[in-house]
Amino acid sequence: MDYRAVFDHVFGIQLWIAGGVFVLVTALLVGAIVLNRARRRDKLPFAAAEHNAVEIGFAVVLGGAAAFLVWLSLSNNHALDYTDTQAGSGPQAVAAGAAPVQVAVTAFQWCWSASYPGSSTSVTGSCATPGDRPVIVVPQGRPVEFSLTSRDVVHAFWIPQLAVKRDAYPDHVNSLVMTFPDAGQWLGRCSEYCGTHHTTMDFYVRAVPDDQYQSFLQTGALPGGATA
Amino acid sequence: MTATEPRVPHDEPRPVPRRTRTTVLSWVTSTDHKRIGLLTLGTAVTLLVVIGALALTMRAQLARPQMTVLTPERYDQFFTIHGSGMIYLVMTPFAIGLGLYLVPLQIGAPNVAAPRTTMLGYWLYAGGAVTMLSGFATSTGAADHGWYAYPPLASTRFTPGPGVDLWIVGVALAGLGMLLMAATVLWTALVKRTRGMTLLRMPVFTWSVVATNLMTIGAFPSLLVAMGILGVGRVNPDLFDENIWNIGYQHVFWFFGHPVVYVMFFPFVGAVAEVLAVFGARRYFGYKITVVSLLAFAALSMSVWGHHMFSTGQAENDYYSLTSILLLVPAGMEYFGFLATLVGGRLRFPAPMLFALAFVPQFLVGGLTGIMIATPPVDYQVTDSYFIVAHWHYTLAAGSLFGFFAGFYYWFPKATGLQLRERLAKAHFWFWLVGTNVTFFPMFFLGLEGMPRRISTYLPQDGFGTANLIATLGSGLLAIGTVIFLVDVVISIRRPRRAPADPWGGFTLEWATSSPPPPHNFDPDHPVPPIRSYAPLLDLREAAR
Repeated sequence: MDYRAVFDHVFGIQLWIAGGVFVLVTALLVGAIVLNRARRRDKLPFAAAEHNAVEIGFAVVLGGAAAFLVWLSLSNNHALDYTDTQAGSGPQAVAAGAAPVQVAVTAFQWCWSASYPGSSTSVTGSCATPGDRPVIVVPQGRPVEFSLTSRDVVHAFWIPQLAVKRDAYPDHVNSLVMTFPDAGQWLGRCSEYCGTHHTTMDFYVRAVPDDQYQSFLQTGALPGGATA
Repeated sequence: MTATEPRVPHDEPRPVPRRTRTTVLSWVTSTDHKRIGLLTLGTAVTLLVVIGALALTMRAQLARPQMTVLTPERYDQFFTIHGSGMIYLVMTPFAIGLGLYLVPLQIGAPNVAAPRTTMLGYWLYAGGAVTMLSGFATSTGAADHGWYAYPPLASTRFTPGPGVDLWIVGVALAGLGMLLMAATVLWTALVKRTRGMTLLRMPVFTWSVVATNLMTIGAFPSLLVAMGILGVGRVNPDLFDENIWNIGYQHVFWFFGHPVVYVMFFPFVGAVAEVLAVFGARRYFGYKITVVSLLAFAALSMSVWGHHMFSTGQAENDYYSLTSILLLVPAGMEYFGFLATLVGGRLRFPAPMLFALAFVPQFLVGGLTGIMIATPPVDYQVTDSYFIVAHWHYTLAAGSLFGFFAGFYYWFPKATGLQLRERLAKAHFWFWLVGTNVTFFPMFFLGLEGMPRRISTYLPQDGFGTANLIATLGSGLLAIGTVIFLVDVVISIRRPRRAPADPWGGFTLEWATSSPPPPHNFDPDHPVPPIRSYAPLLDLREAAR
């Protein structure tokens, strides 16, 4: 549920593999260009046009690589799943009974609003004005369930620094459960093209300690001197 | 045969094109697959320049924060027509048109099967192109909903105006045209092969076209259904009040949309394979495993579409991740053939070979990042960001277009009987080699830093300025390279130097006939040689040694 940590882990491994493969292929290519120039070679380095054992062996190696990458993909995708983390005991596991905090987020052309079930507090703003962007407040350290929907077209809720994204549809509610290990404020963007002012559909998500969050739910504003 | 440069042997009769009529009417009513193929490729090259110019304008807009080269509305139209135009009107016609021109020649057939249906395919494509682009002539401008046109945005409620209507009709016409053309070329390869040309003696390029056309036939009907859904939504936008039609459209669209990615890739794998073998002066390595890989890849490609929808929350992410990552096995086998051919070859480096060599590592960047975005926890971050923009431009512009240009420089003398200027061709290559990487590599970083795709501008504090400026400078190099390419073509036509029948020492049947080939490809002066393998002309040379 810590999307950033999982992204960094998986992307880091993949980057090493991809870099290794790229260097290997390019080295073979450059080696062939340098060593196999027609002027340098009187005859072909080797004449065979097929070699079944080598080909099948390479296919098996590729199959093994694919199996590892599929495992990497699926196991980490499940590490992000709230239900799976409840059942499991891995580093991402969440203590049983920690029911997620509910935040309802609605996208529209061209901004966002948020409400908090059980509270009269709500959030909106003017996305095109950097100083007046909506600030969606969430508690730090507890699982938060965003219920994402849209009033008009398809949008997408993206927090680049936290490596998380989920689309918002009309006539459909998408659930996104995640945790905010640290307090802080992050820029969010709409990443699904949604019309003329898609460009400016920015917002903030702000994670605060639980006591400040409770105060926010009661009064509709963060207490003075709240940590950013 | 050890010719290093195209040359005209003095003892060979100068090939004379035996066409009696060269009027415009004779071209547009032709039943000759070569003319229909050249019409398709010529139209697509013209559109590559026009639609590429849209991209250059967008790059100008993004060079610095808060530029106003284009209004936001016009920018949205440009990226929509750039994306959809390049896919429907340029890369797919390149892929299918190259097959149309070459497959009958490579299998020793006199013509394509069902030539009138094939010509109808061209007309539908040309009509679709005009229809789609004519949106710019309307008061509200061309379509501006992005190339995949998600509803409800693409309905009349959120995007009124005739631009979208014209776009839907244009895409449907062009898509239907490509479907017809793919079907007749596939039919040709299956039933019109000459004596001795068994399936497992078809050249690698022809096999790549067979796989391409199988995918086209599997996928393009789904595009027509998707355009039908959008069409209903133009009349009755209430349709998209229900989620099922929105998410359903996405499934139907991507069921077309992912195989088409490989339609725009496979013929260039085939072209690169032919070029690497000929300029490596050796039989292509791993023919059978390459054929099996192409077919397996095509079959698997029909099951991966949902990887475009990981962030929708409405797709089976595990399944689509599994099928998408498995594609690396056939793709890896194709690369094995490329590399083994190079490692075991005696290499020459004319322009087609340079483009083919650059294709290998550049497409690889697209392929390796493809595995990343087939992984949901990574895709949740990078989808719909500039990382994705970088990824598919590496596959299409730095990959497939390099494969196309390899094929263009390789087969241009065959198709026209004219030689291109080698120096200009090499200048084109170097501008494009540097230009594609300078343009598209910085976009990976922009995506990771949080720049969404399809934004018409950005703020100074976003921190996207430097990478965007570099990308824009790179696109300038691409523009210069493209001008050199066009100049090369014009000079070669205006000041013709005749090309011989086989300037490169080719292996496949098209090099056994004249340049350009006679109306029915082979005639008593240019008979089909005996065929014993997928490299019949190499067999003859080896036997004569």
